[in-house]
Amino acid sequence: MTTTAAAPAPIRPAGYALLRAGPAAFLIHRRAALVAALLTLVLAAGCVGYLSLGEHVVAPGEVIQVVRGRPSPDGLVVGALRLPRLCVGLLAGAAFGVAGALLQTVARNPLASPDIIGITQGASACTVAALTFGIGSYAVLPYLSVAGGLLAAALVYVFAWRGGLHATRFVLIGIGFAVALRSVTQLFLTKGDYLVAQKAQVWMVGSLNGRGWAEAVPLAWALLVLVPCVLWAARAQRTVSMDDDTATALGVRLGRTRLGLATLGVLLAALATGATGPVDFVALLAPQIARRLTRTAQIPLLCSALLGACVVVLGDLPARMLFAPTELPVGVLTAAIGAPYLIHLLVRGHSGRRRAAGGSA
Amino acid sequence: MTTTGDRTASRLTARGLTLAYEDRTVVDGLDLDVPHGAVTVVVGPNACGKSTLLRALGRLLKPRRGAVLLDGTDLARLPTKEIARSVGLLPQTPVAPEAITVADLVARGRQPHQHWWRQWSAADERAVTEAMARTDVTDLADRPVDELSGGQRQRVWIALALAQETDLLLLDEPTTYLDIAHQVEVLDLVRQLNHERGRTVVAVLHDLNQAARYADHLVAMKAGRIVAQGPPAETVTAALVRDVFGLGSVVVPDPVTGSPLVVPGRPWQSPADG
Repeated sequence: MTTTAAAPAPIRPAGYALLRAGPAAFLIHRRAALVAALLTLVLAAGCVGYLSLGEHVVAPGEVIQVVRGRPSPDGLVVGALRLPRLCVGLLAGAAFGVAGALLQTVARNPLASPDIIGITQGASACTVAALTFGIGSYAVLPYLSVAGGLLAAALVYVFAWRGGLHATRFVLIGIGFAVALRSVTQLFLTKGDYLVAQKAQVWMVGSLNGRGWAEAVPLAWALLVLVPCVLWAARAQRTVSMDDDTATALGVRLGRTRLGLATLGVLLAALATGATGPVDFVALLAPQIARRLTRTAQIPLLCSALLGACVVVLGDLPARMLFAPTELPVGVLTAAIGAPYLIHLLVRGHSGRRRAAGGSA
Repeated sequence: MTTTGDRTASRLTARGLTLAYEDRTVVDGLDLDVPHGAVTVVVGPNACGKSTLLRALGRLLKPRRGAVLLDGTDLARLPTKEIARSVGLLPQTPVAPEAITVADLVARGRQPHQHWWRQWSAADERAVTEAMARTDVTDLADRPVDELSGGQRQRVWIALALAQETDLLLLDEPTTYLDIAHQVEVLDLVRQLNHERGRTVVAVLHDLNQAARYADHLVAMKAGRIVAQGPPAETVTAALVRDVFGLGSVVVPDPVTGSPLVVPGRPWQSPADG
């Protein structure tokens, strides 16, 4: 163990490739890049499958013709029905994935996903309240849902703040609000008339049913605006994964960085919920699976986005087909897969606590 | 209250510093000049406010009143990233991100020197390589931090603070959880850094004898105030030990270094043996 003698071989963080361009230099995690490339392939294949399969099966070659804008006899089924629905699924899934990754990072807790800390419940409560009061237009509901999600997050934030954002308090207060908001929703459902309740019930389980360009286009614009913020987050996320003292000593403005990351996560979750309704467990699952695949020290954002999109798109395909012509909401399917996985996480987390103790204290 | 001779110049000072958690005042109206280019060790009984003082010196704790000044400017008025290029701090119980490797963790010490568009430079590589060589963790570079022993892990954290390449280094009980050999190793490293690089070090230590051995300037605290400070040879006396720790002792010259060695009174004995 005597390495001090001669000039030691230069050390670079293991597993990273260095990308240089003039004065700029970026560290790229090799395994994460590989996983991202593979996920892109899976997602691309999934998209083609999504567009070609269904009650009316279209050959993949024909699907590609339609996507490229060529005239085709299947233009209506693929281009007007399946393609916009696919776009909503991709965008919302990616947004859920990144939202979960950011909130889990800030809270240092894998349970801190928007559907557990009250954001989606806030969106539900707001939407159901609007339906009860007779505001039933599909043009207004998504915006109300976004507002509800943001409002719930703001409440959780205000109540969790005590001279700083304490991770555990944030999660616990979020869970409290989630329960409270769920009962508010139930109250509106019981009070409202039968038709409202039915309409609300459909919305309350996230679904891509009947989603089209009207949802896809505003969501795409909103997410496009947030892309620079996500790039910032990818870097900032690194710094908040250390303990508070070390991060502060390294010159990180911890409070501000955390607030920025949490706000971005909440925005993404609220936007996605506005478009599809609460698709359970995607935000919880995608980042955890992504991290296990890439083995990075923090949750990888790009892979979380890709996995979120994969889960929603590949979940909606059987949801559409299993009981055709009746369509299952995709939220039912993601919940059916998600719940066992959550239990698995909790059981494993219990037996593997010694190892995890380094990261979650 | 003696000053340390020629080392009166000070980059880091505290003026009228009052520190409190919620409504409990821990340090009250404290003044301190950290001697430049020297190893300062803060000692005192449990809960005397020594770690709290160190946290305030490293701007981890905002003063209730008074200020900590770096080169004459209040820390509260300096950008935190700028402070991080001058002052490094190793907290008492740092926590690594799950599954991070040693080299990755040490590289994070370069954070204050990096930008989002320049995540790695030749200077970063040199600093990390050197910090890891100095702390003898080069061979551990690719190992996950979770799997290391306590002594190895502490050396990795010190490497992170070294990679930050600051003139001032604050260490909060850097020898806790280490066996005696590793304690000596860490303290020797601190002294070496100070002598070869002229780095100013402030460390909080539990062990009064280690403090007397390694400090150029010793600060003894009790109940949030500085009771005595100066070179250990002039500061550590049986009277001080009784005053600060409430312990009867004999102070003799250390047989190796000649620094004061505190030998506590006789252990309890059964009256029958007497």
